[in-house]
Amino acid sequence: MKAIKKPHLVEWLNRVAQAYDLLGPVLDGVVQFKRVKSTNQLVFDYPNSVVPPKNLFLPQTECLFAFRREGGSIILEPAGGLERERVLFGIRPCDAKSLLLLDKLFNRDLVDTYYQEKRRGTTLVGLACPSPPQRTCFCTSLGIDPLSPEGVDILLADLSDRYLVEVTTERGEALLGFSRELFLPSAGEEKPRREKEKSLEGIEEKIDSLWEDDYWRELSRRCLGCGVCTYLCPTCRCFDLTDVGSTLGGGRFRCWDSCIFADFTHMASGVNPRPTGKERVRQRYFDKFRYIPEEYGVLGCVGCGRCSRYCPVAIDTRTVINEIIARSTK
Amino acid sequence: MEQELREIVRKLLQEGAIEHFIGYAEGVEPLHTTPCFIEREEEVGALVWSPFCPYNLARYLHQMKNGAGKVGLVVKGCDARAIVELVKGNQIQRERVVVVGVPCQGQVDLAKVEEAFQGAEAVEDAGDTFLVTVGEEGHSVEKERLLREKCFFCKHPISFEYDFVLGEMSPFLLDRRSELEFAMIEEMESLPVEERRAFWRAQFERCSRCYACRDICYACYCQECIFESRAPRWLEKTTTSLDNQTYHLIRAWHMVGRCIDCGECERVCPMEIPLRQLYKKVEREVEQLFDYEAGMRVEDLPPLVTFQVDDLGLVI
Repeated sequence: MKAIKKPHLVEWLNRVAQAYDLLGPVLDGVVQFKRVKSTNQLVFDYPNSVVPPKNLFLPQTECLFAFRREGGSIILEPAGGLERERVLFGIRPCDAKSLLLLDKLFNRDLVDTYYQEKRRGTTLVGLACPSPPQRTCFCTSLGIDPLSPEGVDILLADLSDRYLVEVTTERGEALLGFSRELFLPSAGEEKPRREKEKSLEGIEEKIDSLWEDDYWRELSRRCLGCGVCTYLCPTCRCFDLTDVGSTLGGGRFRCWDSCIFADFTHMASGVNPRPTGKERVRQRYFDKFRYIPEEYGVLGCVGCGRCSRYCPVAIDTRTVINEIIARSTK
Repeated sequence: MEQELREIVRKLLQEGAIEHFIGYAEGVEPLHTTPCFIEREEEVGALVWSPFCPYNLARYLHQMKNGAGKVGLVVKGCDARAIVELVKGNQIQRERVVVVGVPCQGQVDLAKVEEAFQGAEAVEDAGDTFLVTVGEEGHSVEKERLLREKCFFCKHPISFEYDFVLGEMSPFLLDRRSELEFAMIEEMESLPVEERRAFWRAQFERCSRCYACRDICYACYCQECIFESRAPRWLEKTTTSLDNQTYHLIRAWHMVGRCIDCGECERVCPMEIPLRQLYKKVEREVEQLFDYEAGMRVEDLPPLVTFQVDDLGLVI
């Protein structure tokens, strides 16, 4: 393990920023992960961003290709692509974990090249979580360690005047190379430990027994049907494709969409297989705790707590989980 | 007051006078409440009342549009204005709603509490002040420091007839000059147009179009929202700066003569866009142009559904 003094961290990031596009937490109305021109824009004392950093890999609005009519033919032009390799500084362990899940989802049958290119071209420098956590955090209940380097290339842990540095990949090692002299061997400091709580074993079977339970109707009455919980969820990744422009030219875009929106499953025929809030709310929790575990062997929730924190009517995922456990017959 | 409310609701359910009652219940986090639907007598114990009940429960009356039965709900004075507007807009029939008025003495802005007293566990209304408990310590705080901005200008509908009132309904009065109500609008109006445009552009740019501001709004009851219409397509799902501006400006127009300044849009915005400022501007324009205030009397004709001959030139 190595350590770096706090003033040196900025120095190192400055050098990194010369070779890479540097992304990190900035205060722009609220804390958001964004590309920074200078390390002065970065904030270091933040619980987490409002919008998870998934938007750096699956942007809310992304042009997939442009099209235009020229004479008798239609010309397609590829869009997007990274100009330079990127370094994402400050991602929290829960969000890093969510990217590992998104990796599986976007590389299953078809490799999503748009997502994949951004993932491959981005080195992750994580920041272990501060203590105490936010009131809404519950990653440990899902078996996630808020001090874990899982999914990042380098993990920094705040030790008040310096950061403990844990390098887990060669890419991380290469990044250290920009200022190797600033990273000193750590004086045997121990990374603070966080107790893992009991994980939610068997939640898949439990929720499965509740398909017809009245709880979903009860919950959906309170739910307003807005997109907060899905847009701010690090593992929600649904999108819609739309052509913008005219027959003369334009672009094909993919934009975030949400299973909570009434029109999400509204078909051209007029049929909506999830006609009421009950089916839509149920879908969201079944996705997290039944479908994803079944397909990918991991829970679809990382316990970041954003859904609970920002729900306009204080629907709390922890309560939902407790209800699932309490009502389940399994 | 809570006990009284629970008894009223118990009786209403017992008599079969309502199908369910919409109220406030304790939330998971300290100082939080959540809307709740009470269907059975044994559930009335869940009903609470505190200065942490921001939700304008009249929003949930949208759900009864297609039903036939009666619904009860608890409203603050400000929320009663939403009921006036919903009746006016033929969205509900007054006789299908059992309205329990609660004499609110100001609602607390949780963000202000979090900023001033991190880890606050309780905030009690002590008349002129709030009593904030943090760990072992108690702090007596002037109400103004913790109140939601809109509560400084508390307004009730003049002639609203509640079915039940817990205590006595009266507007909550703070020693504030009423001309301050539009101070932030005047300040904004004094800036050059380029600065105003830059300000709002920056605000709208971070909008994620989660539509929480629309979906929490009591006045957004269109069966098909303009933003979801596929043919014609008025607004794409893309979230460019221009798209987001279009969204917010169209919505602001749709609030003309309807916004009651419940402030819920701003409260729920995860991106902290100062939406109340936008809607106060709309409110001010309506007041100045038509001498009209939404939600005050059922008989008042909304300015955009009527006209006077001398309107010509004023609006067109």
